[in-house]
Amino acid sequence: MASSLHDAPSAAVNGTSAAAADSKSQVHKKPRLYADPSPPLFTPSDILSEFSHHDPTVARINNGSFGSCPSSVISAQNDFRLQWLRQPDDFYFNQLQPKILQSRTIIKDLINADHVDEVSIVDNATTAAAIVLQQIAWGFAEGKFDHGDAAVMLHYAYGAVKKSVEAYVTRAGGYVIEVPLPFPVNSADEIVHEFRQALQRGKQNGRRVRLAVIDHVTSMPTVVIPVKELVTICREEGVDQVFVDAAHGIGCVDIDMKQIGADFYTSNLHKWYFCPPSVAFLYCKRSVNNSDLHHPVVSHEYGNGLAIESAWIGTRDYSAQLVVPKVLEFINRFEGGINGIKKRNHECVVEMGQMLVEAWGTHLGCPPEMCSSMVMVGLPACLGISSDRDALNLRTCLREKFAVEVPIYYRSPKDGEEGGVTGYARISYQVYNKAEDYYKFRDAINQLVDNAFTCASLPNS
Amino acid sequence: MQHEYPRNGESTHPSSKKPKLSSKFITESDIRDEFSHHQQRVARINNGSYGSCPDSVLTAQRRWQLQFLRQPDAFYFNVLRDGITASRETIKDLINADHVDEVSLVDNATTAAAIVLQRIGRNFAEGKFQKNDTVLMLHCAFQAVKKSIQAYVTRAGGSVIEVRLPFPVNSEEEIISEFKKSIEEGKSNGRNIRLAIIDHITSMPSVVIPVKELVRICRAEGIEQVFVDAAHAIGSVEVDVKEVGADFYVSNLHKWFFCPPSVAFLYCKKSTSSSDLHHPVVSHEYGNGLPIESAWIGTRDYSSQLVVPAVLEFINRFEGGINGIMKKNHDEVVKMGKMLAESWGTNLGSPPEMSAAMIMVGLPSRLCLHSEEDAVMLRSHLRDRYEVEVPIFHQVYVDREEGVRDKDGFITGYVRISHQLRMGKLAKCFIRNEEAVIKVGEGFHGITCVLPASDVCCISQFLKNRIKGGQGAARKNWNF
Repeated sequence: MASSLHDAPSAAVNGTSAAAADSKSQVHKKPRLYADPSPPLFTPSDILSEFSHHDPTVARINNGSFGSCPSSVISAQNDFRLQWLRQPDDFYFNQLQPKILQSRTIIKDLINADHVDEVSIVDNATTAAAIVLQQIAWGFAEGKFDHGDAAVMLHYAYGAVKKSVEAYVTRAGGYVIEVPLPFPVNSADEIVHEFRQALQRGKQNGRRVRLAVIDHVTSMPTVVIPVKELVTICREEGVDQVFVDAAHGIGCVDIDMKQIGADFYTSNLHKWYFCPPSVAFLYCKRSVNNSDLHHPVVSHEYGNGLAIESAWIGTRDYSAQLVVPKVLEFINRFEGGINGIKKRNHECVVEMGQMLVEAWGTHLGCPPEMCSSMVMVGLPACLGISSDRDALNLRTCLREKFAVEVPIYYRSPKDGEEGGVTGYARISYQVYNKAEDYYKFRDAINQLVDNAFTCASLPNS
Repeated sequence: MQHEYPRNGESTHPSSKKPKLSSKFITESDIRDEFSHHQQRVARINNGSYGSCPDSVLTAQRRWQLQFLRQPDAFYFNVLRDGITASRETIKDLINADHVDEVSLVDNATTAAAIVLQRIGRNFAEGKFQKNDTVLMLHCAFQAVKKSIQAYVTRAGGSVIEVRLPFPVNSEEEIISEFKKSIEEGKSNGRNIRLAIIDHITSMPSVVIPVKELVRICRAEGIEQVFVDAAHAIGSVEVDVKEVGADFYVSNLHKWFFCPPSVAFLYCKKSTSSSDLHHPVVSHEYGNGLPIESAWIGTRDYSSQLVVPAVLEFINRFEGGINGIMKKNHDEVVKMGKMLAESWGTNLGSPPEMSAAMIMVGLPSRLCLHSEEDAVMLRSHLRDRYEVEVPIFHQVYVDREEGVRDKDGFITGYVRISHQLRMGKLAKCFIRNEEAVIKVGEGFHGITCVLPASDVCCISQFLKNRIKGGQGAARKNWNF
């Protein structure tokens, strides 16, 4: 499949709203594991083979939800599992900590953090959110914060994060402000504007805004948020701490901790960075403000710093955390490494998205420069998606009847709006995808439309 | 009775009923095959720390893992929840719980402790408990639990009572008496004991605690809630949660119940207060009850939670099922413990009826184990030099307390030996008058290493001489 040449500056991947994005490519040190000539680049047949464990009958255009892991990494992971099972005591005392440290060190370089102490490895962004939010709860409980002090988050924050905010902030006496975001969205400025307004609301009545939770790439609907700018605004407005939830960050958009400037930043490595389920990093900028972070599962390492606490939370399988070096080897066998992968994924998903909206007469949920390797594609209005339940049922129908895996988002119509697009599919593009996957999806929807299908006809599961 | 490999994400529903015991029991050679992935040269007598998992269960686990990787969305929507429910149903029957809603699956006992104690922390923060309300625990509670109490109770303003466990222990009465004493002391100081945390089987030193009796005492004394930390219990002692009568009961399945790392069940007796328990990692399932919350805490590998039915199949290949295994393990570990104590002229840490599949055996005083560091170094030395894996406990004697002596001095070190099936070699440690002999034998084949007598006067000195700088250095000997 020919991908269009894309010479617009990759503003999307930087998550900036500034029109004049830096045209120089990101200069991160690519950790090299060999001094010698690198191993050969992957051929298309190699890639097929690396993902041969995927169900070949399914058009798997939802990498965003659960990610994907090549077989060479799974193999490396199984080696580590076996080493543990063979002699667990020896592994615990002599291998586990150094290997986790090795993974953390690689991540530190990838994300441009200052110090490896700033990098903890946890299961997933959901866990990271609990860690950050738990210290907010203590802030209220211990009287550091006043009842009614605020936390700000996006309306499109991930469901688990919203619940975590409820569990740890609202319950502890905090006041939560949601930033409404327009969708479909037309420019990063729209987001910045809403955010500023929400902060003002937060500061009303002498309230302090203790925490802002900002997605780097929202989940549903998916949009790349101008995080750098929003973090700057937070600093200007005196927000205590900023937590960037970048579950979809690493391997999907450019991430640079010092550039973005947040206090906390988390990203899953199993979504777009080819790690097995599951592993994520939580970056915590070194400062006196956040020496009080703890993993909620307390082990004997309590008090030794979050990174050390997270590296032992009782007997478990830590193998997913140990394969990061192997993943780097895998990535470096692609032209351009992770940057090449990101660029091609972005170009392809935009191309496929545009193909679909043309075929269906709909539109994308955001401009190409505000999407990463995922994009929201409007579904024909005649499908009659009129609730979250409809969206889920349609998704199930696509999986079971057409072998297409794609999440569907329901967007409730604005006041007075009638007959508009209310359903969007979130398509992803990852190295194993091919054009046929998206043609299959196109044809499935066309068939439904031809058959005068509506969601009302689906059984309520 | 292996799982059918499901296609297109169809749900598999392994039967939760206990399968009939096979007419053909597992053989010694089958068992060796099942554990052939263990490092064969090592005398692995520490099943208590990290457990063990047979090959057929690992195979079942891999199938679940592959199924997820193949089509994760279909797995999430159609397979995962039912699979976890099937495991929970199996466990509910094993432990005699009333209702499957009382059974949650979590990673390990450490996680369960965080769940129970985080709620205590909230109760302080929300004014339900007053400053100085108290949590009671055993002095030798597992270190992670102690830290969890620090993190969630002490930090929130609560106080802690530690019950000293006599060790070596001679009878259950000694423990019961100490327990009662501590409660009296607490109450006489006007303290309100909100929670008692009681080990079913302590870790280091390992002793089987009379939990049923202690829970009864707690109820009689008006202690609000009781949490039994039974990390080692299932598969090594009988577990009947109604009999024990605690509010919360947790046990790891990967220690003695052949599950892969890692999975534990947390039983929470149904009551008004059990509705306010939450998994600390909050997902979209928040508020749907602890079992449902715990069944989805974000994208992860849940495969070890799904193999419980497969594990039951494995167990039922043994004569007498899990009861047969438990009895055999107990008899063997007592036999081995007595053999070692006799060879070394030392003692057992508890009478046989207060041990399960682990027992503490005194080390000769001539080893001069004087600190935690010595215990760690000796353990490393046994691993590195003699390929024996066994945790070592350093017994601290309080001033004026009568210690146990052997012919040379006070016994300050104990090994905790475990017995699980007959998958590994037997380690026999003999330390005779003039020689240190460590013999590793399997059946009649032995490998003997002899330490020259001149090196063995004091283990600390010996180890310092032999171990180069950096080796054996301070990885704390947190025994599990």
